[in-house]
Amino acid sequence: MEVTDAAVVAQVLAGDRDAFRVLVERHSRSIFRVVYRMTGNQQDTEEIVQETLLRAYKSLERFELRANFSTWLYRIAVNRTLDFLNARKTQMHKDAYQIADNPDPEESSQIQVQAEAPGPDRLLLSAEMKRKIAGAMGLLTPAERVAFTMRHMEGRSIEEISQTLNLKVSAAKNSVFRAVQKLRQQLEPYAGQGSPTRPTRWGGSAVK
Amino acid sequence: MNHLSEEQIVLHYYGDADAPGEINQHLAACAECRAEFERLQSMLRQIEPLEVPEPAANFEQKTWLNIRDRLPEKGGFLRRLFGAQQKWAVAGLVAVLVVGAFLAGRYSLRPVPPKSDGTTAQANPQKIVLVAVGDHLERSQMLLVEIMHNEDTGHIDFTAEQQLARDLLDDNHLYRVSAQQVGDPQVARVLDQLGRVLAEIANGPSEVSSSDLEQVRHTIQSEGLLFKVRVIQSEVNSKLQQPEKLSGGNANQRL
Repeated sequence: MEVTDAAVVAQVLAGDRDAFRVLVERHSRSIFRVVYRMTGNQQDTEEIVQETLLRAYKSLERFELRANFSTWLYRIAVNRTLDFLNARKTQMHKDAYQIADNPDPEESSQIQVQAEAPGPDRLLLSAEMKRKIAGAMGLLTPAERVAFTMRHMEGRSIEEISQTLNLKVSAAKNSVFRAVQKLRQQLEPYAGQGSPTRPTRWGGSAVK
Repeated sequence: MNHLSEEQIVLHYYGDADAPGEINQHLAACAECRAEFERLQSMLRQIEPLEVPEPAANFEQKTWLNIRDRLPEKGGFLRRLFGAQQKWAVAGLVAVLVVGAFLAGRYSLRPVPPKSDGTTAQANPQKIVLVAVGDHLERSQMLLVEIMHNEDTGHIDFTAEQQLARDLLDDNHLYRVSAQQVGDPQVARVLDQLGRVLAEIANGPSEVSSSDLEQVRHTIQSEGLLFKVRVIQSEVNSKLQQPEKLSGGNANQRL
């Protein structure tokens, strides 16, 4: 029978440092997937996975053995990613707005357009849309980006987002809304087979 | 009729809006809001998650190897106590061996020719010292790396680092004195610098502020301490891999 995560945690806390390897082997790959969806970059993701596991190890005393270890680890991973995105935004603030014009395929392929019967025209439109998506994602704040990825890509609930990011439910909702609003302002004119649609009722400006 | 706000429409798409029944009713009755909702729906449905590349087959192993040496020891009071006693015993043994080897080398009338029959089973004091010093440098390096990469969250819990620094400090003093005695000023100097940083950490608060952390990092960086420790550790390791030089050498050989 497989040893539970909680039992391994107890073993590590008792002083068996090498037992932590079991948790690394069990959870590294799933953390990788979560983080990659938010960073879109493999090297950054690998670093964040390591930082997540280190942080988890250091905080192991605070883990409640009755809780779910993977959920706990997921929260650490998301917050490490958020820290990373914040730090990168600070460091590369000047470049942030250039992504739309000059997207890095590794960095910017945060989200993809569904490929339905991709004929030549559609492929062109798809590539154009990807560039626009990349640009729009570059305009999101790290919190909006993480919240949108969690809600839209991973189907996490607003409650989970608020708990993970330590936000009020209303703030979590607002982060998702702001993200969609920004994406919409940038992308909606190009959605719908590439023919510009009419402006939204709100004219691309914020409501309230 | 009041139309739905953009926020209501967006949140309704995800099922997160308040009063969803009322919104549904409104959408059924209001063509304009329904058109807005459908347009949003159309755009968001085109966005799908990025396809995540599969990491290499040895990804887990690589991750473990990358973090293993950065994991501080954990354990209860008894284990720490036992660990400390064991370490003190090793430190005492090393001290005796260092001093003994030093005196033997200093007062012997002539060097003892190395035995060539390969039957010597006695422990080589210098090798033991090198192993102990190598271990000490490795642990010190881990601590310094940890501090340089510690997340700056405003108030940083330094308890684990402080404990490790205290443990290392005593050993460091012993090795520094030994290095001075065997005439290796370069190693003694680096251990002296290391000792000052260790003392700063060991005697500081268990929770440090961003500026405190920055100050410690500045000390480590300005003295190039991490680099120096790595260089010495590398020298120690290379000497350990040359057993023929160690077995016939005298105790005054540089660390």
